[in-house]
Amino acid sequence: MNTENVDGITVALPSGRLDFGAAAAFQQQLEQAVAAKPRGLVVDCSSLDYVSSAGLRVFLVAARAAKAGSVGFAVSSLKPAVKEVFDLTGFGNVITLCADRAAAVAALA
Amino acid sequence: MVTLVEELVLLAIEDDGSVAYTAGAPGFGMALIGAALVELNQLGRVDADTVALRVLSKEPTSQPALDRVLAELAAQEELPIDQAVRALFIHAPEVVRLALAALAARGILHAEEKRFLWVLKSRRYPITDGREQKEAKLRIMHSLLGDELPTPHDSALIGLAAAGGLLEAFLSTAEIARLEKRLEDIGGLDLIARGVESAIQDENAERAKAAMLPPY
Repeated sequence: MNTENVDGITVALPSGRLDFGAAAAFQQQLEQAVAAKPRGLVVDCSSLDYVSSAGLRVFLVAARAAKAGSVGFAVSSLKPAVKEVFDLTGFGNVITLCADRAAAVAALA
Repeated sequence: MVTLVEELVLLAIEDDGSVAYTAGAPGFGMALIGAALVELNQLGRVDADTVALRVLSKEPTSQPALDRVLAELAAQEELPIDQAVRALFIHAPEVVRLALAALAARGILHAEEKRFLWVLKSRRYPITDGREQKEAKLRIMHSLLGDELPTPHDSALIGLAAAGGLLEAFLSTAEIARLEKRLEDIGGLDLIARGVESAIQDENAERAKAAMLPPY
């Protein structure tokens, strides 16, 4: 997973499929990103095509870790197939979901 | 360590050791099946999306209740989560039996057979010191009354306990109504638990419809 730094905010860029096989590595990378204590962490999902129940769980683990570390957390740019999963489970009620990366960075600035 | 399935079973046990809900009741039975599926997902035996629940590996987990559900799931065709839960529902009594046996084997509860009027047998499962049951209730209350995000395990526990009607065992109807928004927000974060909720609603709707039909 690639990451970028935008004004002290870490932007993580997962891509492809986030299923059980990819979940553990993705979780580790997000936890490392939180541990570095950035101003905020944005997960930009513009290249993420698929998320399964196991993959979705990682977003909850990362959001908890970010909150515990007082690191702002937002998810952006969900493709329709991924957005369907987020909408079905109501993730938008408990974490910040933004239409695009700029909005997510602005939300955490 | 108490599993999600075992925690739901413990929540269903009354102070006198009787099991408050029968596994044949759609809410409780499907919540238990859902708990097994969530655990199988966490162990990498299954994964799910909005289209289907899929078996990734048939390798046993060493937990009989989970292995029973895994074997039955592997034997059936691939289905969406809610349909798979309804198809597996008939195995809920066996899942309860295996979970009770596992809890008894670890000394968390023990089985007691009693006779009523010297003839009718009833089985109870008094909890030894209640620590695990109390801990599950406390974690649920902590998540519901606080503003922290729950762990994935606790989110699934809350969602499944709510869908299975198990919160009524220690919360009043008024309290549940007051916590409805929080319950909805944190109890639905697990995709499989969401599917269970949908399966229970469909099953109850079908039963209600069938009850309204004339008997001929």
